[in-house]
Amino acid sequence: MDKIIVVNIDKCLACKSCEIACAVAHSRSKELQEAVAESPRPQRMLSVEAAGEYGVPIQCRHCEAAPCIEICPTGAIQRASDEGPVVVDEDLCIGCKLCLLICPFGILKIGSEGRAIIKCDMCIERLEVGEQPECVAACPTGALVCISLDEHTGSKRKKASQHLAKKSGGGTDSKTRKKDK
Amino acid sequence: MKKVVIIGGSAAGMMAAISAARQGKSAEVTVLSADAAAYRRPGIPALISGYISQPGQAGVFSNDVLARHNIKLLCPVEVTDINAGEKVVTYEGEGGKGKLAFDSAVIATGGYPIIPKIKGADKKGVCTFTTFEGAQQIVNAVSDADSAVVIGAGFIALEIAEALMHKGLDVYFNVRSRILRKIVEPEVSEHLSRRFEREGLKMLMGETISEIGGGESIQYVVHKGKKIPTKVVIMGTGMRPNVALAEKCGIKLGQSGAIKVDSRMQTSVPNIYAAGDCAESPDLGTGRFVYSPVGSIGAMAGRIAGRNAAGGNEKTEGFLRAQADEILGLQIFSIGHSTTTAKEVGLKVKVQDLEVPEQVEKAYGPKAFEMAKILTDENDRIVGAQLVTSRYGSQYAWQLYRAVLASEDRAEFLEHFISPRAKFAGALVQTITSTISVESFEGGESLTWRNAPKQQSVKNR
Repeated sequence: MDKIIVVNIDKCLACKSCEIACAVAHSRSKELQEAVAESPRPQRMLSVEAAGEYGVPIQCRHCEAAPCIEICPTGAIQRASDEGPVVVDEDLCIGCKLCLLICPFGILKIGSEGRAIIKCDMCIERLEVGEQPECVAACPTGALVCISLDEHTGSKRKKASQHLAKKSGGGTDSKTRKKDK
Repeated sequence: MKKVVIIGGSAAGMMAAISAARQGKSAEVTVLSADAAAYRRPGIPALISGYISQPGQAGVFSNDVLARHNIKLLCPVEVTDINAGEKVVTYEGEGGKGKLAFDSAVIATGGYPIIPKIKGADKKGVCTFTTFEGAQQIVNAVSDADSAVVIGAGFIALEIAEALMHKGLDVYFNVRSRILRKIVEPEVSEHLSRRFEREGLKMLMGETISEIGGGESIQYVVHKGKKIPTKVVIMGTGMRPNVALAEKCGIKLGQSGAIKVDSRMQTSVPNIYAAGDCAESPDLGTGRFVYSPVGSIGAMAGRIAGRNAAGGNEKTEGFLRAQADEILGLQIFSIGHSTTTAKEVGLKVKVQDLEVPEQVEKAYGPKAFEMAKILTDENDRIVGAQLVTSRYGSQYAWQLYRAVLASEDRAEFLEHFISPRAKFAGALVQTITSTISVESFEGGESLTWRNAPKQQSVKNR
């Protein structure tokens, strides 16, 4: 995968803007005002789950060795391209539910029409033109970010080293992790 | 231009059609279906729940798909004859009448429900659910009923029972032997019965109901001499392969009574292939041909049949049966052999309970899963697994699936089946939060990374 959606649950307000944006993005009209009146109702592919006092937006992780791809008997679940997101070809889905029950994150579900499995496609057509997925674009606090793995590990390295430096008394960023103490 | 004719328009037939169309770009694919549309059977509980109302909605194979792959669909038509010598099929019905020449054909005529010999089983209100019409019948029958009796033991029967319970009906579930007899161990069946009973499903165990009584329509059923009032009886009592057409044109049947095929899914007549609930399929591991009417196997077999029919040359070593469903809040997985299916292929198996791994128990309490079994063959290789869980079983199911697929050594498997949660939590944490690695530097356990208060302040819906 070139890009992943990283969640910083410290920043999540559980406002569910991402859920709405996702449902609208996967509606026919792509407009909120019209989407709410559509039948069947547009569905969201990610959900903000309550976990303790935190809200956790959880969506398809587009796993590298994805169990859903491996278990699908019809080949309906595939990567859009070598480095692309995991997507469902609804036409090939026979509704056997193996992927739904094997997914370690409980992401996949049967669409409201009962036709096929639906899942996050990382707004593939937006990614192709260099835009952010809708959920990321809609997040008001930056709890969701869509970045490359290198960017992600880079920022983690930086935080970790700052933290170590602070531990040995020479921290540059006094705010780091203060509230956890 | 290779002409491919597919007889049957459900999962196996349509997968064959799509694969054939993709394989030989110049193949001319025609599907002949006896049903009103090309659709898949697992969509039927959705119809009963009221999510869908048209065959077209249950059928994923819309006109767009067919057009995109250049597949012609003729329905509803009945194929009356296959002339293997002249390579012509004859069909007739509402969808048209005529003859169609072919270079190769795929028989995917599916199965038909077994109706047990019960007094009154021919009454109006006795439904089956292998066709869309049958399912529509169920919908009509339950619309003004307070209770229903479902006879059967399989996943779809259970799904239908659940759908009816959600509609507010009193549902009686009648099983002669035990729930999911073919695919799980007796102990697992027993556990499931107990759990379902607690969820409000009324179990009628031990014997099939002896009588469906009433006048023209159903008024009651009799189980073990006791009268139970109901207006609806739904039969989910198993499948028989629909082989009448194949037999008529001289195609050989296997021991199970289903169409005999080879590892290319070709029947005894060259250029005629078969897949799905009408045909046998090879079992992974033993390579023995067995009758296993499961949607996913039908689809896999259909893909191979379709490719070969369009000129490909693809063989299978066998299919691994994996079935999973979520019923009344319980996730049930059955992968590979059970003692029942192992006996059919002449495999000697040992059943072993899988203990909840220590680390998992620490993290989740002793009920991480409710019941798990692994089956090993004489060489101590894992050939089957079953799992029942009420929460989040997928991580274990995935490990079990991989173990059965690779027929892993039991001791080796048990060694690494220790900490799915630790593994999983590690992966989750790494990808999902950007803050975790900082805490892990603090010398504490990396997994207890936050002491979240117990009460819930974010309401989920």
